[in-house]
Amino acid sequence: MYNNVMVNLTREDVHRLAMLSKITIAEDEIAQMQKDLDSVLAYVEKLQDVDTSNLEPTNQVTGLKNIMRNDEVIDYGMSQEVLLSNVPEVEKNYIKTKRVL
Amino acid sequence: MAKVSQDIRDKYTVTIGIECHVQLKTYTKLFAGVSNDARGAAPNTLISHICLGLPGALPVVNAHAIELASRAAFALKSTPSTFSTFDRKHYFYPDLPMGYQITQFYDPIVVGGKVHTNVDGTPHIVSITRAHLEADAGKNTHPAGADYSLVDLNRAGTPLLEIVSDPDIHSPAEARAYAHELFLLMKYADVSDADLFHGNMRFDVNVSVSTTDELGTRTETKNLNSFKSVEKAAEYEINRQIALLEKGVKIDQETRGWDDGSQKTTSQRGKEQAHDYRYMPDPDLPPIELSDDFIARVKETLPMMPDEWRATLAGLGLDASQISVLLEAEVDNSNVEYLLILKNNLSNKNYAKQLANWFVNIEIPYRRDEANNPRILAPQKPKLYKAVYDMVEANKLSSTSARNLIQLLLDHEELPDNIEQYATDQGLVQVSNTDELEKIADTVIEDNSQAVADIKSGEMKALGFLVGQMMKLSKGKANPSIAQEILKNKILS
Repeated sequence: MYNNVMVNLTREDVHRLAMLSKITIAEDEIAQMQKDLDSVLAYVEKLQDVDTSNLEPTNQVTGLKNIMRNDEVIDYGMSQEVLLSNVPEVEKNYIKTKRVL
Repeated sequence: MAKVSQDIRDKYTVTIGIECHVQLKTYTKLFAGVSNDARGAAPNTLISHICLGLPGALPVVNAHAIELASRAAFALKSTPSTFSTFDRKHYFYPDLPMGYQITQFYDPIVVGGKVHTNVDGTPHIVSITRAHLEADAGKNTHPAGADYSLVDLNRAGTPLLEIVSDPDIHSPAEARAYAHELFLLMKYADVSDADLFHGNMRFDVNVSVSTTDELGTRTETKNLNSFKSVEKAAEYEINRQIALLEKGVKIDQETRGWDDGSQKTTSQRGKEQAHDYRYMPDPDLPPIELSDDFIARVKETLPMMPDEWRATLAGLGLDASQISVLLEAEVDNSNVEYLLILKNNLSNKNYAKQLANWFVNIEIPYRRDEANNPRILAPQKPKLYKAVYDMVEANKLSSTSARNLIQLLLDHEELPDNIEQYATDQGLVQVSNTDELEKIADTVIEDNSQAVADIKSGEMKALGFLVGQMMKLSKGKANPSIAQEILKNKILS
């Protein structure tokens, strides 16, 4: 029954999603985004038809458990220089970002 | 801010819940084999592809963190969960390179628990909602005047245990007592260095007030790092909220910070949209299933907790304040081992009692006085105290001399081989030898004919005076009770 319901995201919903995803959306993109996301949601809502009341959620597919390591330093073979090489800007070995707070 | 009057305050019920982040004492981070000791390390030297959240990096749980969290479960009068999982909590901040924090949302490692506290002699129980493992974030600094921030990820990934209390706390004093008891529990269970000064334990205090049965709107004051600031921040928030409500102003649900300088809480982030962390199970981290064997083994290795010690020490005749002095002193200095020594001697109640008294009345105050320089190491102390105890039992030391001897010996890095000989050389051993004491008594009787006459006429106060004279002549070494017996015999029979 859900697949007949249009979801109808509001402009505020789109703004909020943009904020949560840390992306900027231009005002003139919003209408298209509303439409696109609505159709995605309508499609995904078909899944609501499946009865899952007797199923445990599948959080893992490997069947593994208790994968742990000893409390020891591991040499990953990566220097500070290599690790920081993709950082846009470094100052005195700190990572430089836009001012927060 | 003006304090509200007691009349007005009494109209309101105060409700407080506390979240405490405890840094676990592992060598390496929660999900990476990288050293955990960020103190004094140069920026971004304790990092890896995992700490930076680089694509493809695979976090692997530190087994020791699981063990420490399990110990903490027992300290909180709970049991570690046989099944727990890790989840991702999403938010954006520069100190969180992955864009999410790995935590335990759905199945935490500790569910339920209790902390027993005591406020001015009234016992109080705070229920624990849960405690979960999570990775700490990095550290931002904001250079003055600059238009940028600097991020150091040394701390990113440090294992934290977040302990969440039920809203069972109803006054600032109870909040402080709870925070302090958590500190003792984490210290005694040996799961954290619990160094508050270095942020090993950080408290977030949720406060609300209400005149009805329904809870009021709460504020959360974050990152308190002392028991005193927990108490003061709670007190401040209670007054602030009541003052606003009395003026008809609604309380904003918000995060606040505590400023130690001004002793005030201030709004940190304005009213913002409710958080939407989009928790999801972390597919990189398989669940943790603890066996009954493992859980039993952890329980076995747990030492006596503060509660058990309070009962034991009360049984040895210590009062509440002495007990508190001893339990605190134990964690002040890792080299004192008061409780281990006591524990090893509990079968001899007399001796244990004497030890507890000497710790509280002699060693602890002696160490507190900075003019002193005790150099003894804990493993030598059983020998020291046993020797002094045996001499006291054999009437060879007065209580004053015992104190002097203990203080002298505490300064030794190596104890003298023969402690009794050392005490004799220091002139501390009592003369119980009757021949010697009789000679002294004869001299005293000869020199004090008036006192002797008084005693003969029933004036027993004079006997004390003569004992004092004997102590003086013997330079304090005469055993006073034997001296008194000898004097009585000589004068009255």
